[in-house]
Amino acid sequence: MDSGSVSTRGPCSVHPWRGYFRSVAMFRLQGSKVLAVDMTQDAVKAKNGSMVAYDGEMAFKKLSGGGEGLRGMVTRRITGEQMTVMEVRGQGTCWFADRASEITLVGLQGDKLYVESSNFLAADAGLRTGTSFTGTRGASQGNGLFTTTIEGHGQAAIMSDGPAVVLRVSAQYPLTVDPGAYVAHQGNLRQSFQSGVTFRTLFGEGGGEAFQIRFEGDGLVYVQPSERNTIAGDV
Amino acid sequence: MSTVHHDPATLPADDNVNAYTFCVELKGSQWFLQKGKMIAYYGTIDFNGIGHGRLDRLVRTSFHSPLHASDWVVAEGSGKMLLADRAFDVNSYDLEEGNLTIRSGNLLAFQPSLALKQSIVPGFLTLIGTGKFVAASNGPVVFVEPPIRVDPQALVGWADCPSPCHHYDHGYMTGLLGGLRAMTGLGGASGEEHQFEFVGAGTVLLQSSEALMAEQAVGTPPQQAGVPGGGASGAPTGRSGAPGLPGQLGDLQRRFGL
Repeated sequence: MDSGSVSTRGPCSVHPWRGYFRSVAMFRLQGSKVLAVDMTQDAVKAKNGSMVAYDGEMAFKKLSGGGEGLRGMVTRRITGEQMTVMEVRGQGTCWFADRASEITLVGLQGDKLYVESSNFLAADAGLRTGTSFTGTRGASQGNGLFTTTIEGHGQAAIMSDGPAVVLRVSAQYPLTVDPGAYVAHQGNLRQSFQSGVTFRTLFGEGGGEAFQIRFEGDGLVYVQPSERNTIAGDV
Repeated sequence: MSTVHHDPATLPADDNVNAYTFCVELKGSQWFLQKGKMIAYYGTIDFNGIGHGRLDRLVRTSFHSPLHASDWVVAEGSGKMLLADRAFDVNSYDLEEGNLTIRSGNLLAFQPSLALKQSIVPGFLTLIGTGKFVAASNGPVVFVEPPIRVDPQALVGWADCPSPCHHYDHGYMTGLLGGLRAMTGLGGASGEEHQFEFVGAGTVLLQSSEALMAEQAVGTPPQQAGVPGGGASGAPTGRSGAPGLPGQLGDLQRRFGL
């Protein structure tokens, strides 16, 4: 690689952390459905097969078990929260997209992002990924009882069907979300599962929103303007 | 980060958050809502089925479509509620002493100051009165004025004009070859032989794609003489496309009693 082409590449070459800290891949959106990542010999984890183009030198390596080691692999297999992830390392720009889904960038400063594995697109390789138990919320979404967590300092990109709306939850404003529209959440949030199932539901006269997730605490919730098919979709 | 973070203070009141999400503000008021279109809410909001006894009075004045009653709920309480539908474009419309007919799957919510009635055209609902309603369309809505012929899949609804009629390209469909084409699709059926025709004064609402919501079986209107689609006659023949015209090859089956 000639270093001349790198200097024309914009943000990554003037990244303030370079030199005294490990270099960090720069995430930016090109439109709302394509993610461009500028890399300087660093790496990102991305959903398998989501690369649409790159320039420069890139190496793509499948990470078995999402790069979480043997334990993570076994956990993912057992929990059904499967995620096929590749590691992209190199020098240049790599573009990612998946089925024209809308992409949202999430910046993490040491906090934890909870996202469904099907909504995960890419994350800085320095971020730790893992699985966590979601309880009844996961069951009501039809996405299984477990969810993916991303933790550390860096950026991640998540996908949604339609542009995600970011809703802030604070002590005075708790939020209630339809399980089918939930995409991700971050911060210090407690979630509880609300069921509005009454005897009316049995007679087909339910309120239409029989299962809801209530978020309390302090953080952000990402919802998409579309509903997945959930087991309780029509109750 | 450029992403906007919303909270109840920054969310709009009865307006779009973005092209795909609409925010309704409830202050002890009520909205009719199609089931499953609420994606999130702040505050305390109750969702009750149309059959809920306490809502009888409200339903009596603004909901006149027993066939669709099981698809609708009443949201009441205080807070802000986000509505969305399959990542379709959503828009709100204001009616003033007007009437508007809309495909039942595309209507998301409406204020109880409007009265919902079932259109004589199956699968469509009519809103009459004054108030706001929210509707979804795949792609932005285009407003056009009659006279116009529109593709059935692109039609979202129409306002203030008489109900449409079917229009068939007879020149293309009749005769032996036309029958063969209609039956088999061979020889270049364009798929556009059938349109809805609007005449008179008013506005027609079109979406810019042909993606529809899967129709839900809601039953048929009461079996009564003179009620179109009353189930007394006119069961679908199972043939796709245009119904048979006399003198067409497709009629052979029926003539031989097959």
